[in-house]
Amino acid sequence: MTARRLATCAVLAALALALSYIEGMLPPPAPLPGFKLGLANIVTLFALCALGGADALAILLTRVLLGAMFASGATALLFSLLGGLAALGTMRVLSRVRALSIYGVSVGGAAAHHVGQVCAAMLVLGSAAPLAYLPVLLALSPLSGALTAFVCALLLRRARGFLPPREG
Amino acid sequence: MKQFPDLKPNKADALAALAVLLLAAALGARLWTSPPGAAGAVVVSIDGAAVERVALGEWSRTYAANGYTVRVEATAGGVRVAASDCPTQDCVRTGTITRAGQSIVCLPARLVVTLTGAAEYDAVAG
Ligand SMILES: [Zn+2]
Repeated sequence: MTARRLATCAVLAALALALSYIEGMLPPPAPLPGFKLGLANIVTLFALCALGGADALAILLTRVLLGAMFASGATALLFSLLGGLAALGTMRVLSRVRALSIYGVSVGGAAAHHVGQVCAAMLVLGSAAPLAYLPVLLALSPLSGALTAFVCALLLRRARGFLPPREG
Repeated sequence: MKQFPDLKPNKADALAALAVLLLAAALGARLWTSPPGAAGAVVVSIDGAAVERVALGEWSRTYAANGYTVRVEATAGGVRVAASDCPTQDCVRTGTITRAGQSIVCLPARLVVTLTGAAEYDAVAG
């Protein structure tokens, strides 16, 4: 890993951490504390496009683990871990689908992020009750996913020339 | 997906968004359509295990769960969390639920209040 690549990853991890901190102060999209809309997915998607899947995963894990030190407890950690991994995994797979642009990939990631968080809530509660929040969250994800994609596309075009080459 | 993407979505993206919306609608239709029979009983679960099943009626009970105290109040028509010392108060704000299959969740206390049909209650009680 070159110094430039490492520096880019570190900056993105810090940015993701700041975004999830800000998001923690916003009202959650479901009445479950620790639930997040997915602002930090902007960074995951950016990293996936600009750097590739391995770096995106490293940035995600850094953000989740550092976030756990600032935020409250194991539940919040599980929410962001399962939500983040589901979003990244789904976007990684969808990014291979040639027909989809960054928008389709991002909408899939937003939906998966909510599915991951609902799964985490079901695990914590030992109950299927949180499933009832999923339809509304899924219905929101085309909107939040499109916004994420737009911000990302804008940033990627601006950052052209500064970025190290994409790997994987 | 290109490393430096276009600012405009394409038709396949619209289809992906539509697929997510259809999934939301299908899941919503399945979860939110009432099962046959009116709500008849309240099931309270802590940490995933049902601790109590009580028929609907005028009552108020208090549960201790994971360091929190949650007061559940029922009437003939529904049930609500009347008071809780959890930090976010989402359970209290959910208000009264009246249909079988609906739940109130208190994540900090890991407590779930679910309404079930009268038939299910009779089966358990009998
Ligand atoms: Zn509560």
